[in-house]
Amino acid sequence: MTASLRVEWWKLRRSRVVLVATALMGLLLPGMGLGFYSVALNGGTGGLAGKAGALLIGEGWVGYLGFVDQISAVALFLGSGVVVAWMFGREHADRTFPALFALPVSRGAIAGAKFVVLTVWLAALTLLVGLVALVLGLAAGVGPVDAALITELLRLLGIGITAGMLALTMGLVASIGRGYLAAIGAMSVIVAAAQVAVLFGTGGWFPFAVPGLLAIAGSEGAPELTAVQVALIPGLTMAGVWATIVWWRRAEVV
Amino acid sequence: MTAPVATSDVARAFGDETAVDGVDLEVRNGEIHAIVGLNGAGKTTLMRLLLGMLRPDRGRATVMGFDALDAPSSVWRDVGHLIEQPFAYPELTVRENLRASAVLHALSPPALDADVEDAIEMFELGKWADRRAGTLSLGNRQRLGLASALVHRPQIVILDEPANALDPAGIVFIRDLLQRLAGNDAVVLVSSHHFDQLARVADTITVMHRGRVVGSLDPGGVDLEQRFFDLVHRADLAWGANRR
Repeated sequence: MTASLRVEWWKLRRSRVVLVATALMGLLLPGMGLGFYSVALNGGTGGLAGKAGALLIGEGWVGYLGFVDQISAVALFLGSGVVVAWMFGREHADRTFPALFALPVSRGAIAGAKFVVLTVWLAALTLLVGLVALVLGLAAGVGPVDAALITELLRLLGIGITAGMLALTMGLVASIGRGYLAAIGAMSVIVAAAQVAVLFGTGGWFPFAVPGLLAIAGSEGAPELTAVQVALIPGLTMAGVWATIVWWRRAEVV
Repeated sequence: MTAPVATSDVARAFGDETAVDGVDLEVRNGEIHAIVGLNGAGKTTLMRLLLGMLRPDRGRATVMGFDALDAPSSVWRDVGHLIEQPFAYPELTVRENLRASAVLHALSPPALDADVEDAIEMFELGKWADRRAGTLSLGNRQRLGLASALVHRPQIVILDEPANALDPAGIVFIRDLLQRLAGNDAVVLVSSHHFDQLARVADTITVMHRGRVVGSLDPGGVDLEQRFFDLVHRADLAWGANRR
């Protein structure tokens, strides 16, 4: 698998899709969080200030990172999902898929290598969002380095991990759909379905709604989230990764 | 003994459409075997079957005696192919694409670096070696695809329309390349629409039509194109008679 890991790493490192997605998510998510927090703190009941105020779940790090969490829960899934979809779907869109046959490296190993480099990238992205959020918060004087900061950063890490794991399942959709558009369409439907599941009070059992619920867990009126519900995510991800690798092993060039 | 590249009564359909129907083929070391046919004749499907890209509905497609679908990696180490689109990732440079192909074909340093540089020189890609493949002209992308297919010096070479997008100088280059490969005892299976090119280099020319082998042409003979159309016409008449 070393050979396929090297090649997939080169492709990821050189990709403009990955570069733009990393820069946008790494900088914009904390920036937007800080923007909403500032608007909410400055008061007002109308327009954006009113809406931001309604979403404010506390002061200091809890309030600021609460916004970053709520935005990241959706944006990290969508943004990471686009990169995952690109990694798998581009072999069809760029018509390089046939070139991956008749090689000493199996296509299962190539798909596995894609997941490995994506996992490393997702981990780095989550850390980047956390680091930028920390630096921005300290620069803006949100609060001192205290226990609340550590707790909220760990929550952001949890959201990054769960959203990233869920994004990995888009590899299967992009593979079966033989292109990234199928996965992008699927993500739109999934995000809408997650909203509906939360509205009906069953969001905890819909894994794609869990990062959003993690973002508000513990705040007033937030639905309770059980360990079993959170554990559905790694289960779903592992099933998705396994199914993707099986698909790559068995797929034909048609 | 089975030829290094062979099919036996191999067939494959896509829904109601029969793409390859009971084809027997053998390609031996040192031979340039050309497959010709109209669009949709089944040439590409036959090559895909030989490279494990498709499962046959019937019969066998073998490489070095192994079924193409489950041949071991040691077999594929010695195979180079270009089917339709070249191995050219647009975000990688020419040199990086060649390194990627070499790595995937199990080459490792220092041979890898030397072979990549040799391929750049042999395929006259030096001027573009550090340019992203996405910025190359169609002809240079095709050269890159051929270089990627051959960077590991395979003994079995399967090329679908290798002269696509190449200028006349490129076509002469391909002709010389195929002859060099066969001269080194490689097995060369190639499809082409260029009858002049085939007449000069092929040892065997197999004609496919409607998924079947309908005859062969003598590469040394005259007016290959006319004889090709005669074979296709006769096959069409027989096909029409059978349907009635």
